[in-house]
Amino acid sequence: MVIVDKENCKGCGRCVAACPRKCLRIGETLNAMGIKAVEYKGEGCISCGICFYNCPEPYALKVEKGTGGAQK
Amino acid sequence: MAEICQRGMYKTFPRSGKNTSFTHYCPGCGHGIINKLIAEACEELGLQDRTIFVDPVGCGVFTYYYWDAAHISAAHGRASAVATGACRARPDAVTIAYQGDGDLGAIGFNNAFQAASRGENFGCIFVNNSLYGMTGGQMAPTTLEGETTTTTPFGRDPSLTGHPLHVCEVFAQLKAPVYIARVSVADTKRIMQAKQAIRKVFEIQRDRKGYALLEILAPCPTNFKMNALDAAAFCINEMEREFPLGVFREEGRGMGEEERGKGEEERGKGEEASVLSLRPVPHAASCHDLFLEKDAAPAAVDDPSFPERRFKFAGYGGQGILSLGLCIAEAARLERRHTLWFPSYGPEQRGGSANCSVVVSGTPIGSPAVEHPDVLVCMNQPAYERFAGDVKKGGIVIVDETVPVETRPPEGVRLVRWPAIRMAEEFGVPKAANTMMLAALKKLECTGLSDGSLEKSLVASFKKKPALGEKNRELLRKAEQTEF
Repeated sequence: MVIVDKENCKGCGRCVAACPRKCLRIGETLNAMGIKAVEYKGEGCISCGICFYNCPEPYALKVEKGTGGAQK
Repeated sequence: MAEICQRGMYKTFPRSGKNTSFTHYCPGCGHGIINKLIAEACEELGLQDRTIFVDPVGCGVFTYYYWDAAHISAAHGRASAVATGACRARPDAVTIAYQGDGDLGAIGFNNAFQAASRGENFGCIFVNNSLYGMTGGQMAPTTLEGETTTTTPFGRDPSLTGHPLHVCEVFAQLKAPVYIARVSVADTKRIMQAKQAIRKVFEIQRDRKGYALLEILAPCPTNFKMNALDAAAFCINEMEREFPLGVFREEGRGMGEEERGKGEEERGKGEEASVLSLRPVPHAASCHDLFLEKDAAPAAVDDPSFPERRFKFAGYGGQGILSLGLCIAEAARLERRHTLWFPSYGPEQRGGSANCSVVVSGTPIGSPAVEHPDVLVCMNQPAYERFAGDVKKGGIVIVDETVPVETRPPEGVRLVRWPAIRMAEEFGVPKAANTMMLAALKKLECTGLSDGSLEKSLVASFKKKPALGEKNRELLRKAEQTEF
């Protein structure tokens, strides 16, 4: 499952476009930087890691093997 | 539980705040993706403890806040030159230069190109985003034809600013590199290819196979004035048309570490050796070999009772000004004094103004610059006018008698006019005017050095022409008979 650290997200949307299961979206709430961060829709993650490699930020996303997702 | 997360980076990046863990890159920046891949490859191969990253000037400058390994920050364009030094000084290290297209493609092109030509043992990761990112999106050598940047507001016009520079293709003409490839980080498939290629660059360095260049096409959403996805699409649709992805060189023709320094027997085996390849390649000399072992000067001995003396010799290039200074410095060295010789001259070999400073001291010397000499020797008028006023009280100015002395030196400074040039002519050796000046210095006993070492030093300065050395010694003694 994908784990989003929204404080490290810059909201570029690359992961949203790259996700093969379309299970990420840009959220509505702002993070501390004032950015609308990405969030997990809650289901569909297959832990492929594609979002992680498309993300330019080191610590915005991580993926644990298993199903489901979490929001930090 | 297996986890896909960032490896090889510091946990926090204190640049923009104590506990921040986001980078300084803009949203959607290609650098961010590349930085992650590089850190990961370095960690996965277990090379963090022996990797030296040479950081560029440009957007990639802050990588030392991110990658958990050793770093050297280079001046703009010089990462490949600094990496050359690093990989030679530390052959046990994995050296990686990280450069952008303004850095490598423009100001530092020759540094990178020559390093590649020499087949230095480092990997160069070259990020091409087709413009100068950090400074605000100006045209770079890699800017596409028609691409709009702040300095090409109507699109790059090749008739005015040339065509995009294909770095991989140019470097692929060289013999030494073992790996040259171009990848991209525009989409998942390309990112995975880039990941493999970056890993390969590290492996090549780990195995010391030689020089590797990896060009990575990277989106710059900010300066493309696009969102992250359009910028990535621009990389694929526009940049790749100009800069096709692919491997331009892999192994084979490069000259790896084992080849280096091998003699004629080994190299060229099995193939007809050319005349050049039969020439044995000398082993690289270390600084130690060059400067410390052979002909090493005996170290200076501290002697606080010997007061520091500062000399300035000035004239025009060709009068033997610099040689005269060297002669004093060499005499001091023979007496195991601390000494420094510091020449100063223009771009001309001959005819321009020249001067040199010499400091002789019984204790270690701080600065080689002499602003207020104890002894000033002037061979022409401009030199006298420029420096006479600087001489210390109690000091001495020796000028050639041909110099018109219109202004007196400061009070308390002795002025000696000496026919150095005339005497040298009379003795039939006009070039020996500097030796005539040495005679004056010796006669006036203003050097604090013994006559023996001054003469020895003079003779030694003609090491390549021993007959001239003796002749000058003779002239020196003759000149000393002259009265002031």
